[in-house]
Amino acid sequence: MESGPGDEKTHLPSPTLWPIGFAIGLAALLVGLIVSWVVVAIGAAIAVVFGLLWVIDLSHAHGGAEGEPPPVAEAAPAGAPPEAPAEPAAEPERFPRNRFLEGTTLGLGALIGGLIMVPSLGLVAASGIEGQTFKDVDLGPLSNFPEGQFIITTFVEDPAAGEVSRRTAYIRYNGLLGELPSFTILSNRCAHLGCPVQPNGPVASKPSEVVVDKQGNVVRKLTPAKPAGFGCPCHGGQYDTEGNRIAGPPVRALDRYEYSIVHGRLVLGSAYSVAKVKDTGKDAKIKKELLHNPGQHVEGPEAWLWPIPEIRT
Amino acid sequence: MADPGDPDLMAAKSARRKQVEGMVLYPLDWLEERSGLVGGIKYFLFRKVPGDTGWAHTLGSATLTAFIVQAITGVILAMFYKPSPDEAYASIQHITNDVTFGWLVRGMHRWGASVFIILLFFHMARVFLYGAYKYPRELNWIIGVFLLILGMFEGFTGYLLPYDQTAYWATVVGMNITANGPFVGTLMGQFLQGGPAIGSDTLARFYSLHMLVAPGLIFALIGLHLYLVIRLGVSSPPWSKEAAGDEYIEREEPPPARAGLVSPATRQRPQP
Amino acid sequence: MIRKPSASLQARRAQFKLYKEDVQKRGKPFFPYAMFHDTVMSLIVVVVIIALACVWKWTTPGDHTGTGAGWLGPLYAGKADPGTTSFVPRPDWYFYFLFYLLRIFKWPDSVILGTVGIPTIIIVLMLLLPFVDVRRERRLSHRPVAVVICILTVLAMGTLTYKGATAKEALASETLGAVPTWVKKNKLPKEAVPGAMLFAQSGCLTCHTYLGTGSSNLGAPDLSAIGKKGLGIDTQIKHLKDPSSVTPGSPMPPFASLGEDNLRKLAIFLEASKGGG
Repeated sequence: MESGPGDEKTHLPSPTLWPIGFAIGLAALLVGLIVSWVVVAIGAAIAVVFGLLWVIDLSHAHGGAEGEPPPVAEAAPAGAPPEAPAEPAAEPERFPRNRFLEGTTLGLGALIGGLIMVPSLGLVAASGIEGQTFKDVDLGPLSNFPEGQFIITTFVEDPAAGEVSRRTAYIRYNGLLGELPSFTILSNRCAHLGCPVQPNGPVASKPSEVVVDKQGNVVRKLTPAKPAGFGCPCHGGQYDTEGNRIAGPPVRALDRYEYSIVHGRLVLGSAYSVAKVKDTGKDAKIKKELLHNPGQHVEGPEAWLWPIPEIRT
Repeated sequence: MADPGDPDLMAAKSARRKQVEGMVLYPLDWLEERSGLVGGIKYFLFRKVPGDTGWAHTLGSATLTAFIVQAITGVILAMFYKPSPDEAYASIQHITNDVTFGWLVRGMHRWGASVFIILLFFHMARVFLYGAYKYPRELNWIIGVFLLILGMFEGFTGYLLPYDQTAYWATVVGMNITANGPFVGTLMGQFLQGGPAIGSDTLARFYSLHMLVAPGLIFALIGLHLYLVIRLGVSSPPWSKEAAGDEYIEREEPPPARAGLVSPATRQRPQP
Repeated sequence: MIRKPSASLQARRAQFKLYKEDVQKRGKPFFPYAMFHDTVMSLIVVVVIIALACVWKWTTPGDHTGTGAGWLGPLYAGKADPGTTSFVPRPDWYFYFLFYLLRIFKWPDSVILGTVGIPTIIIVLMLLLPFVDVRRERRLSHRPVAVVICILTVLAMGTLTYKGATAKEALASETLGAVPTWVKKNKLPKEAVPGAMLFAQSGCLTCHTYLGTGSSNLGAPDLSAIGKKGLGIDTQIKHLKDPSSVTPGSPMPPFASLGEDNLRKLAIFLEASKGGG
């Protein structure tokens, strides 16, 4: 920045905003070459007008250059001394808005954090809770289920969700209770920690019915079996043919499914939990509880540890 | 450095040496002036550690190495893995059977996890037995416990990703164990699963936790852990004869003559 | 509020200061001394990981792909089937100790101890360790509690892990394979074989042992030589249908739902089991 031998002062251009308009005009002109001639015309006009103003400004500035810097230079030293003596006296009040700024900064920061995190966490949490109602599942005509025979039924709870909603139930037709067919439908998820419970007894080597959808996925598979009870491979839980716990760590009986008969077909409804089932078969006395996660007691003093059952909205 | 021999030879060496040194040092100085990083690295590399640290002290850095192996192999696997319940299994088969060295990277990642966990436990045992969790290193121990928990969480979330039978059912049980927690257990289970049961979102959720959340936390905590190790120093083995800082054991009276038989003899600080 | 540091805190600080000075005076630079050890160990770790990956792949039978199990287990199991009735779930090996803990707590009221209680207590104890043990003493010879805790922990976790690894349930999917061995060892006649298969499938081995298979639960006797007792087919069937009628107070559940046919086959098998293997 050193001046050459011919300059007494450096001639820095004075601040001016006209170049901005000139640049806009130029940009519009170039864009218009691609977009449309109207834009070119407008851009050219803006560029010319602002360019002229800029040039006029420059020539004025050049003519009055000596006038400008000194007033600025004088103003500064004139401004400084009056301030300096005031400073020591005004030291404690130099930043009177300190507290306000602190509070506002923290508050705004908290607001930003909230704006980012609340929707995100809300999404994560809400998605765990919503949209998971049971859908009815058609299990075929009643003739698929001979009386007194357990049928291992594998079905897809929600075809839209696909394979991940495949479940198995142990279904036994108990005969008519009054005029209505009575079924015992047990979930195969152990009531201890959810492992797949296996039948203790011979299983037919071939399924009695296999239903396949258009993509070739097995939608329903029925296999007869003669279990004397059910056992869990993980930690040794044992159940009898009503799903009641005989031995091991399960905290309640196997979960059951509601069912309805529609046009002579067995339709599966939602699942529910039971503590213990009295009597057997079609005389069974079942006290229905809300569906709980495995491992959670549904009656007795421990039940208050888990007041919120599964949330399905 | 050089022997004071032929002055001319010395001078010639110096000049060329100066030139080479200058070429190497110039970028380092440039970097140092603008960031201070070079000084930081030099401090880390050449800081003093007690002279009696042994092989047991390598377990921490071994654990870090195992974790870095996991991170690198994990990044490569993420380029081929598809986190959707319909495609995950097939993508794992593809990686294992078709991709060149896919089996090696996947094997390293899977067994690196086991090695990482084993080394974590060994390192923890070493720190425990050396009493290196005592003042002033308590905070480091607490960070270490969190790293252990995060490491096992990584193992658990990663276990679901191949989406085979083993993966699915181990996760079912793990989620139900979570749901077994009192009062909020069910909510926590649903939160992790993305629903009341393992559903179509669970895999992606576990993938995000396994790839982004847990590694991020682990990296941050490891950084803090290492910073504390550098700041507080490595402790000597407590039975070492030259343990640094060891002279606080003062006995009221000198031990009886048979002291060396039933307890270590009183140690004297080596005279400088 | 600034309090004057206690005498012990002052002593700790003084010792730490002394430690720092010692390290400065007598210590060695991290690079290359300690870093050399670290590098060698890291190399060993990486080599071990690669070796494990190679063994895992190259000991898988056949063309080294697929679900066959090699020395280190299969490369992957079958595709996830949420409706399976024959799979035996297991966690990764480093969770075996927790897995076996869950098998120990067999009483429904105690389940929450194994799932939530004990792991939480362990984590809390680990976090509180530096605040519980505030002694400055670091030598193992003077820390009996620490040594005992360490040994007990290692033994406990080792035993639990081993037991978790070898835990078996007597389920059809696992025990049917033992039938040919039984036929040989007990010299079972042809007509006893269907009963033997039923015996393996119906959960009997959950409580009874037979020629080394199964587990012993609830006081159930070993049945390898039950035929020697001469109970007779009819008594066997009666017992299977309702155990308490033959053995009062028996905890064995009734197996009537297997059907007359199957019960007869089972009885034939039991009567033919005269030990001798």
